[in-house]
Amino acid sequence: MKSKQNEQEKQYQLWLHNLPGIGDRTIGRLLCLFGSAQGVYEADDKKLEQVIKKEEIRKEIRRFSAGWDLKGAYERLKECGIMFLTYDDMAYPDRLRKLKYPPYGLYYLGSLPRQDQVAAAIIGARECSEYGRYMAESFAGRLSGAGVAVISGMARGIDGIAQQAAVNKGGATFAVLGSGVDVCYPASNRKLYDEILMSGGGILSVFPPGSKPQKRFFPERNRIVAGLSDLLLVVEARQKSGTWITVDMALEQGKNVYAVPGRLTDRLSDGCNLLIRQGAGIVLSPEDLLQEIRVLRNRQGSGGIGKSGDEKVFQGEIRENEPEKGLLSCLDFVPRRADEILELMLKKEEKTEISEVLAGLTRLCVEGLAKQEGGYYSSLACAEGDNMF
Amino acid sequence: MNCINFVVPMNPCPCGYYPDRNKCRCTPYEVHNYLSHISGPVLDRIDICIPVGKVGIRQLQSDKKGMGSKEMRAKVMQARVRQEERYRGTAFCFNSELGPDEVEKYCALGKEEKGFLEKLFRVMDFSARSYHRLLKVARTIADLADCERINEEHLQQAVSYRQGELFEK
Repeated sequence: MKSKQNEQEKQYQLWLHNLPGIGDRTIGRLLCLFGSAQGVYEADDKKLEQVIKKEEIRKEIRRFSAGWDLKGAYERLKECGIMFLTYDDMAYPDRLRKLKYPPYGLYYLGSLPRQDQVAAAIIGARECSEYGRYMAESFAGRLSGAGVAVISGMARGIDGIAQQAAVNKGGATFAVLGSGVDVCYPASNRKLYDEILMSGGGILSVFPPGSKPQKRFFPERNRIVAGLSDLLLVVEARQKSGTWITVDMALEQGKNVYAVPGRLTDRLSDGCNLLIRQGAGIVLSPEDLLQEIRVLRNRQGSGGIGKSGDEKVFQGEIRENEPEKGLLSCLDFVPRRADEILELMLKKEEKTEISEVLAGLTRLCVEGLAKQEGGYYSSLACAEGDNMF
Repeated sequence: MNCINFVVPMNPCPCGYYPDRNKCRCTPYEVHNYLSHISGPVLDRIDICIPVGKVGIRQLQSDKKGMGSKEMRAKVMQARVRQEERYRGTAFCFNSELGPDEVEKYCALGKEEKGFLEKLFRVMDFSARSYHRLLKVARTIADLADCERINEEHLQQAVSYRQGELFEK
């Protein structure tokens, strides 16, 4: 009987959350006054006026409600496998409940992050560099392998790369979208979207299904990313970027923020380096972050994660006995042209010429140690490996 | 002789700075869109692609000089003489004119070179057309190096000029 009542209230809650022109705070006030979503639904105009002063909004709500099929809308949601929670539900994530303004409604596909599992947000620039890609892969892969849930926004660049690495490690990762959960944005992450669901993760959103991504949705999306996580790692960010919104939100929520340092000449590392100056934690390796997490967990009094490790720093694997060693050492995450590489070789006083360099680079590409894109070469020698950890 | 030399410059992205991420803020989609203005089949027929970087002030003021035009011309002429000799009594004068059958005859490879090409094809997914073009470019590289046989290094260098195939990836 209770569950049936719940089901019915759910239908009203869905209606309430879909109402145009009102936000979570108005919903909160309405619920305070009328006791339940059903109460709000059944309230007449006069009573509504106490909370919603504007005539047009009330008119809009009446028009919207007339065209809303309570049962049908809820059934459709269930048919698509989309779960809908409000903060009145037990299953509503505790981490969100602790926010100053918990979102009223939460839609998700797949599953929700477990409360007893450490969750780390990994975020960064959409247009990232090879360095950023590599770091995102390494950190997300290692954390995921150690049983940490990776939370991010499934955006292009760092977000998506981190989540893909987590999926590849078979770990659960959770994507918070700035659109409806049934709208895969960006469309180029379709494969990732499917794989997240297949590997025990989830797609979450506070926006009703079918919502197209909108610019104004993203700060809220970022707030949820920060809210669902125990800590935040920024891999690569420009000085002025959306990443800062998430960082600010995380700090406001009292979460630890960590940054991957970069070179001072890389504009894409400006954000991270600035964060470090402002007091963000510096992580020199995934192990560093795991160590921090262990400390964090101990403070919370729960069990540790993964195996304990000594402090480690990044170490690219250098293959000593290979003929291309010299060439390989001239390659970096930063893509370089063959003529730049030749110059570097000459500076190291290795006797060589362009034809030799080109041939060597091709050999490295074929061996999978380097990659070439539009004539620019970058190193793959230490990427995609756990060999370094 | 009805052959033409087709030389064309192109920017790597709408703003022209890709992949220098300090300056270029084009999205991967924009870069892709920009590059795909040249269709695959057209790109496939371009034998040599090379990226050309910005020339810095240091390079402009540097005393170091590369190979001069005179020297280059001598090298090219030498390679042409090789080709003329090779194709004496046939219908063509240059490597670029060879058809598939002639490629097999004049661009013959040793066992090791063949093995390398096989490996390469698995990694890079070439078309049949680019296979023949690749061999002809390698033939010319060998001619420039004054070698009668095409060796692995010539092939590798020829491959490095075929960046079109890798634009997509």
